[in-house]
Amino acid sequence: MKGLNRRRFLQTGAAGAGLALTGAPGLLRAAEPKVLNVTAYGGVWETSIRDCFVAPFEARTGAKATVSLGAPAQWLAQVEASPEKPPLDVLIMSPDLAITAAQAGLMQDLTVDKVPNLAHIPQEFTDACLGKGTYLDYGVAGITYNKNTVPNPPKSLAEFVERVSAGEFVASVPSISYAITPIMLIWMLAKALGGSAEDVEPFFAAMKKMKNNLVFWAGPNDFFNHLASGEADIGIYFDGRTWNHHDEGADWIDFINPTEGGALTAVAVQIPKNANPLAFDYMNEMLDAENQARFAEIMNYAVTNTEVVYSDKLKPRITPWQQTAFPPYEAIGKARNGWVDRWNREIGR
Amino acid sequence: MSPTRAPHAPARRPLPGWLLVLPAVLFLCAFFVLPLIGNAARSFEGADGGFTLLRYLVLLGDRFNLGVIAETVALSSVVTVICAVIGYPVAYYLVRHAGRFGGVIIFLLIAPLLTSIIMRTYGWQVLFARRGLVNNFLVQDLGLLDRPLQLLNTPGIAIVALVHVLVPYMVLSIATVLQGIDQRLEEGAQMLGASPWRTFREVTLPLSADGIGTGAILVFMIANGSFVTLVLLGGGFQTLPLLIYQQFTTTRDFGMASAMSVVLLVIALACLYLQLRLVRRQGV
Repeated sequence: MKGLNRRRFLQTGAAGAGLALTGAPGLLRAAEPKVLNVTAYGGVWETSIRDCFVAPFEARTGAKATVSLGAPAQWLAQVEASPEKPPLDVLIMSPDLAITAAQAGLMQDLTVDKVPNLAHIPQEFTDACLGKGTYLDYGVAGITYNKNTVPNPPKSLAEFVERVSAGEFVASVPSISYAITPIMLIWMLAKALGGSAEDVEPFFAAMKKMKNNLVFWAGPNDFFNHLASGEADIGIYFDGRTWNHHDEGADWIDFINPTEGGALTAVAVQIPKNANPLAFDYMNEMLDAENQARFAEIMNYAVTNTEVVYSDKLKPRITPWQQTAFPPYEAIGKARNGWVDRWNREIGR
Repeated sequence: MSPTRAPHAPARRPLPGWLLVLPAVLFLCAFFVLPLIGNAARSFEGADGGFTLLRYLVLLGDRFNLGVIAETVALSSVVTVICAVIGYPVAYYLVRHAGRFGGVIIFLLIAPLLTSIIMRTYGWQVLFARRGLVNNFLVQDLGLLDRPLQLLNTPGIAIVALVHVLVPYMVLSIATVLQGIDQRLEEGAQMLGASPWRTFREVTLPLSADGIGTGAILVFMIANGSFVTLVLLGGGFQTLPLLIYQQFTTTRDFGMASAMSVVLLVIALACLYLQLRLVRRQGV
C-alpha cells in the first residue's frame, strides 16, 4: 500500500478543493434534501428567527434549516440569477420588493391548504403581496423624539413639518440611501399633507421649508446616534426600534403614531418557485400564533396572526394596523425611481 | 540498473517563475477580472437583452450626473492634496528627527486603522454633534456662543473625516521613500551654499516625489470609492459611490449601478495614469 507522501497529500487536497468548488455542494444537497435555506436580517433578528421559527420547524419536521443573513435586494437578486434552482427557500422581503418579485413570476402562491396558519392572517396582507406571500410583522413609521428636549411633541405630521420649519427643533429623517425612505418618508408625508403616490409635490415643498433644520440618517443606528448625541431632537423612525432603545436604557426616548396615521412598514415573507417543498412547513411556523407572539416579544413589533395575545408590556406599544396608513406599494413602486431622481436633484442626500 | 538516484544526481530544477504567480493570477481572474467583465457587460445590456448605450448616454449626457462625477473627482483631489500637505511634514519628522520614537509614531499612525471605520465615523458624531463635546465646550463651558454650531453634515467635517482615515497611507508612502534618500546629497547641497529651504526644495522634495506619487495614488483611489464616511457624515456631497449604493438599495437599477461603477473605474484609471505620468516627469 502506498504511503501518504507529500505529492499524494497535495493531489488529494487539490482534488478535494476542486470538488468543493465545483460539484460538492450539489452532491451534498442531493444527499440531504431535508435542508432548508431561510433568510434573516442580522443582529437580534437572526437570533429571533432561529429561536422562534427555525427551532420549532426543526423539532416538528426533523429537517434542518440554515439561515442566510443579508437584505431583501440581495436575496431577490440571488433568486433572479437562479430561478430554476433558487439558493434560498424562504425570503424575508420588503413589501415593495415582494410585489416586484410576485409580478416577475418568481414566487409561489400561498394558500391555506399549503400553509394552514395563513387562515389567521388578515387577507389584506396576502393581497398586498398579490397572493404570492404575506406579511410576518409590521412596524409603524412615526415621530420619535427625545422627551428631555421636546417636552411637547407634535401630534401630527403637519404639525411636525410646521415646527421643524420654524426652527423649534432639528429633525433627523431617513436619507434617500435608505431602502424604504420612499415609503416611510416621501409617501407618508405627501399623503399627510394632502398629496398621494401620484402627487408628492406637498412632500418636496415641506422638505424645502424644513431644509435648514434637517439632518439625515443613513441607517437606524444612525438615527439613534443623532438623538443620543444631541445632533437632532426628533425625527421620523419606527415604533419597534424606539421601544428597543427604550428597553435598552434610553428612557428619554418616546414614540407617537401621528394623527394622520404613520406608514405601515411591513416585513413580507415569500417562497420562490422551485424552492424546497419544506418551505411551506417553515412558512407555517412563521405564521403560527405562539411562535409569532414570542417573536413580537423580542422584536417589539406587531405580528400578523390575529390569534396572537400580546403581553401586558407589549399591548400598549402595539398600533393596530387599521390605525396606520397602508401604503399603496404598487403605485409607490412605479413612481419610486422618479422620486429618487428628484430627491437627488433637489434635496441632495 | 538500480532504480535509486545516483549520489551526485543533479538537483531538481526550480519551478518556473510564472508558476509561482499562477495562484495569485487565478485568484485575481476569478474574483476581480471576471466580475469586472460581468459588471461591464451588464451595463451594456438592454431590457430586451440586446446591446445598449442608453445608460452611458443618460449618465454622461445629463448635467446633474456630470456634476456628480465632477464632485467625486474634486472631493478625492482635495482630500489627496490635504493628506499630502499634512503627511509630508509628519513623514519627514518621522524619518529624520523621531529617532527611537519612530516606532511609537508609526504605531500612533497605524493605530486608528485598527478601529472600524464606522466606529471612527460615529466618533466624529459624538465630538461635533450640536450637543457634542466641542459645541458643549464652546457654548456651556466657555460661553463663547449663544447657540451650538452646525458642525456635522457640512462639507468640512466630511473632508476632515476622510483625511483622518487616509493620511496614514500618505505618511507611510512618503516615509518609505524619504528613508531611502542618501543624506549625503542634502549635505553636499548645503556645503555648496544652498540654504536648508533650497536644499529641501531642489534636492529632498524631488527625490521624494515617488513617495508623494504613491501616497497620492493610494489616497485618491480610496477616497474616490469612499462610501461609509460620506453616508454617515453627509456633508452634502453627492458622489458616484453614493449613487451606486442608491441604485442597489432604493431603485434596484443594477444596470445603471454597473454603468456608474464602470465610469468610476475609468476615472480612477485615468487619474492613476495622469499621476504616474506626473511623477515620472519629475525625473524620478
